[in-house]
Amino acid sequence: MYIPRPLLILLVIIYLLFLLSVDWINQPGGAWYRPFWVGLLIIAVGSWAHREQDSDEL
Amino acid sequence: MNYELTTIIGLGSIYLILLFGIAFITDRGWIPDKIVHHPVTYVLSLGVFASVWAYYTSVGNAQRDGYGYLANSIGISLAFLFSPLLLKPILALTRTYQLSSLADLIAFRYRSPWAGTATTLVILVGVTPLIALQIRAISDTAEILSPNASQGTLAFGFCILITLFSILFGTSQGAVRGRHDGLMMAIAFESLVKLLAFLAVGVFAIYSGFGGLGELNQWLQEQPELLFELKEAALFSSFHVFSLLFFSAAVAMPHMFYVTFNGNHGQRALAFASWGLPLYFLLISLPVLPILWAGLQSGSAVQVEYFPVVIGVAYGAPLITVLAYVGGLSAASGLIIVITLALSNMCLNHLILPIYQPTARDDIYRWLLWKRRALITAVIWLGFLFHYLLDQRTSIEIIGTIAFTACLQFFPGIIAILYWPQANKKGFIGGLIAGVLIWFIFLMLPIFVESSPLSLVSINWREVAALSLIVNTILFVAISLWSTTTDEERSSADICALDTIKRRKRSGLLAKSPDEFITSLSKPLGKKTATREVTQAMKDLGITTDNRRPYDLRLLRGKLEANLSGLLGPSIAGKIIDGYLPYSIVSRHGSSDLNVIENRIEAYRSNLSGMAADLDNLRRYHRQILLDLPLGVCSLSSDNEIVMWNHALTEFTGIKDADIVGSQVEDLKQPWLSLLRNFMDEDANHSYKYNFELNGQNKSVNLHKAVIERSAEQDSSHEGVIILIEDITETEILEAGLTHSERLASIGRLAAGVAHEIGNPITGIACLAQTIRDEFESDELNNLAQQIIEQTNRTSKILQSLVNFAHADTNKSHYKNEIVSIVDCINEAQVLISLDKKSKDLSFQLDADPAARILGDSQRLIQVLVNLISNARDASRSGGKINLQASIEGNQVRITITDEGVGIPAAIKDRIFDPFFTTKEAGEGTGLGLSLVFSIVEDLHGDIDIISPHGNAKSAGTQVILRFPRFQSELEIDDQDQETSSQHTV
Repeated sequence: MYIPRPLLILLVIIYLLFLLSVDWINQPGGAWYRPFWVGLLIIAVGSWAHREQDSDEL
Repeated sequence: MNYELTTIIGLGSIYLILLFGIAFITDRGWIPDKIVHHPVTYVLSLGVFASVWAYYTSVGNAQRDGYGYLANSIGISLAFLFSPLLLKPILALTRTYQLSSLADLIAFRYRSPWAGTATTLVILVGVTPLIALQIRAISDTAEILSPNASQGTLAFGFCILITLFSILFGTSQGAVRGRHDGLMMAIAFESLVKLLAFLAVGVFAIYSGFGGLGELNQWLQEQPELLFELKEAALFSSFHVFSLLFFSAAVAMPHMFYVTFNGNHGQRALAFASWGLPLYFLLISLPVLPILWAGLQSGSAVQVEYFPVVIGVAYGAPLITVLAYVGGLSAASGLIIVITLALSNMCLNHLILPIYQPTARDDIYRWLLWKRRALITAVIWLGFLFHYLLDQRTSIEIIGTIAFTACLQFFPGIIAILYWPQANKKGFIGGLIAGVLIWFIFLMLPIFVESSPLSLVSINWREVAALSLIVNTILFVAISLWSTTTDEERSSADICALDTIKRRKRSGLLAKSPDEFITSLSKPLGKKTATREVTQAMKDLGITTDNRRPYDLRLLRGKLEANLSGLLGPSIAGKIIDGYLPYSIVSRHGSSDLNVIENRIEAYRSNLSGMAADLDNLRRYHRQILLDLPLGVCSLSSDNEIVMWNHALTEFTGIKDADIVGSQVEDLKQPWLSLLRNFMDEDANHSYKYNFELNGQNKSVNLHKAVIERSAEQDSSHEGVIILIEDITETEILEAGLTHSERLASIGRLAAGVAHEIGNPITGIACLAQTIRDEFESDELNNLAQQIIEQTNRTSKILQSLVNFAHADTNKSHYKNEIVSIVDCINEAQVLISLDKKSKDLSFQLDADPAARILGDSQRLIQVLVNLISNARDASRSGGKINLQASIEGNQVRITITDEGVGIPAAIKDRIFDPFFTTKEAGEGTGLGLSLVFSIVEDLHGDIDIISPHGNAKSAGTQVILRFPRFQSELEIDDQDQETSSQHTV
């Protein structure tokens, strides 16, 4: 199965961000909108991973 | 803050009319295509997934599950962020085979109408609670705004309105033909409205409820239990199961399937949506918590889910209340419209058409239109019935969960479409039935049967969802492994499996032209419908009615199947096409269309890596060798279809490969058809010097063929014939020239030999004649001796000419290489001619540039001029004029000898340089003069042209033009350079 390289990078980044951000999000004094910052970061990486390239229209 | 019922209904009506207006003007083309087809529009239309669940239910979920309410957004976002793994390949399948619903996809993959029917039934039953959820939310919120109105009346009114508009949306001409631009634009608009409304309510909640973001944070610090529930609950709630539900919903939910795949305008839009949709869901999830907290702070006793509408009432902002209501109306109406359209198509294709089909006499479009209208109505009112039967105490969260869990049952089947070719219909249907039974017994039934021991309260729905999915998957895998898979299923699995090159059978069709397509399809569809469908497919492909190319006809067949699939579903379309447009010879397993494979591999190239990429490079290299080979290469299949036509053949025949590949040999025009057909019929594998005429010119080719035998070791076979065509026309011309030269050389050698052998006796005869003349005094004897001497002299001259001709190309070393003045040579030649006693009364006109000089042997040039002037003299009448000109033309010297004689007849023009060819009387000429001239001119690096007749009038004489490289001294070259530079300066 072919998995585009940017997609693998996205997968790794999502996994790492999940590991690193769970404690940060759940800190007692932390702002309620912290998960949204993480989400925004993932979306930014996602927009990079899905940037316009030569599409392979199968 | 109460509103009149009429206000609520009026508001809803105006909003739905606005939506329909947007769809209408889009279908009319009044909105530019760049907006309609923009990826942002696509992302917004995908926002239909943010239904009442995201708008209202998420507020309740946030209170109960904390951050777990984000599972909705996370699940769908993951499906899109990783779209190349699931959505992109499914998009390619749906676009290629015109699959408009999940039931179509399942029926296509598992090659079973029953699988499609089962899918439709499960989705119909499973999604009905979701429709009921929308109706419930709208009637509940309307009741909040207008407490005097009956909830049942509100729901009834809403259903009537939405039925009307769904019919308008779903049965427009565009929707029937599978064009969704208007609907997509309307849905994009409603998604934008609900997003803006929800964000506005969120901002209002922060600033009106708390006074600002800082104040909200301060308030939260004073409510530690809220923050604790928010952050701790997520880890132990239904977060993971919800995420999986919404992940699978991206494909399994009919409205998502409809928008994701039918509303798509290409891979680019999907790539944009892969991060655009997550962003949309991030934004729509953002206001949920402030709305929840503002609602809690207001102390409202209304259900938490409806806080978006309530906080406007609680904080005295009627505009926000209306805005929140319109946002909710948008969310509900958008989902109901899309879901009913999708379900009506599914029901039509998989429940009605397999049982009852229109006859050829019916107007099929009208028949479909009315069935679709009836189904849209039925689906909406089924939702209403579900809503009516529901206990009011059942929360909207539970209703939604039941619907999403039903669709989760398709998850194993969907994954297997792309990733498990061994899966079969028995496994799929078995697993689905088991999973759905568990779902129905433990989730669906308890909400209606209160006294059941399986009461909803006592059931953990997460466990039910997990159990149904596990049982479903185990049965699916086990049955698929233990049962037999049909060839059809394997073929479909091959088409659907990821990374597999899609193959089509390459075989002839019984119908040999588009007209025959219409005739064949008229039987099931009727003449009118068949004509319309075939014409539409031809228009889509750019095929004309006179096209009989097998490759194009196969494409037309595929396009027709795809178009009919969009109209009648893949099962019925496949049945009609297979039944009425069959293949003439069904190709063996593995035999496939090489051109299609080439195109697919070409498109897939950048995805290849490692050994696959190396193999592809090797393939390209070998293919390029064949394409660039300087020999014409033509490859034919076993049924005489042209598979390859290389560049050399394109250049030689003038027939482009794109025009001929895929055609039969019989489609070739003459003379190529005869050439190939005759050669193929021959037993010999080689045919040399095959001559034929092309555009009035003679052509000569060598032909070679090789029969490609079927390999016993390989499954795939591409047996056929490969033919090499070698154009040898140029070689033939060169060979003819060489033969001519050889002949001339032989004549030369023969002449030299003859001259030598005859010369000696002639000399002896001449000596004896001289002796007789000198020794005897008899006049008569002297006279005879004199005649003998004259004849021997004449013979000697002829022999000398022969020797000169024979030695023309040899012994060049003794020729001088001097500066030769053309004027001097012409003068000397003129003098020599005038000495001849046969000289006629001719006038010579000399016009020569004294600067005209060449490098060479002056005596040889004089010989050339004497020969040419002498010919001019012989051709001229008495009193005629011969013009002799010498001029400089750039780096050349041009000499012309023009006479006013009889000219050269056209019939002998080509032979005048041949040795021994003469038009003079016997004894007057040897026929070697012009041959010698030609030879000497070549030696002097010049060329000769003869124009006859010269001038406009008939018999205007002959002009001989000689051109030689000009000789220039260094001084002359310097002067010329200076002159050139001064001209440039001026």
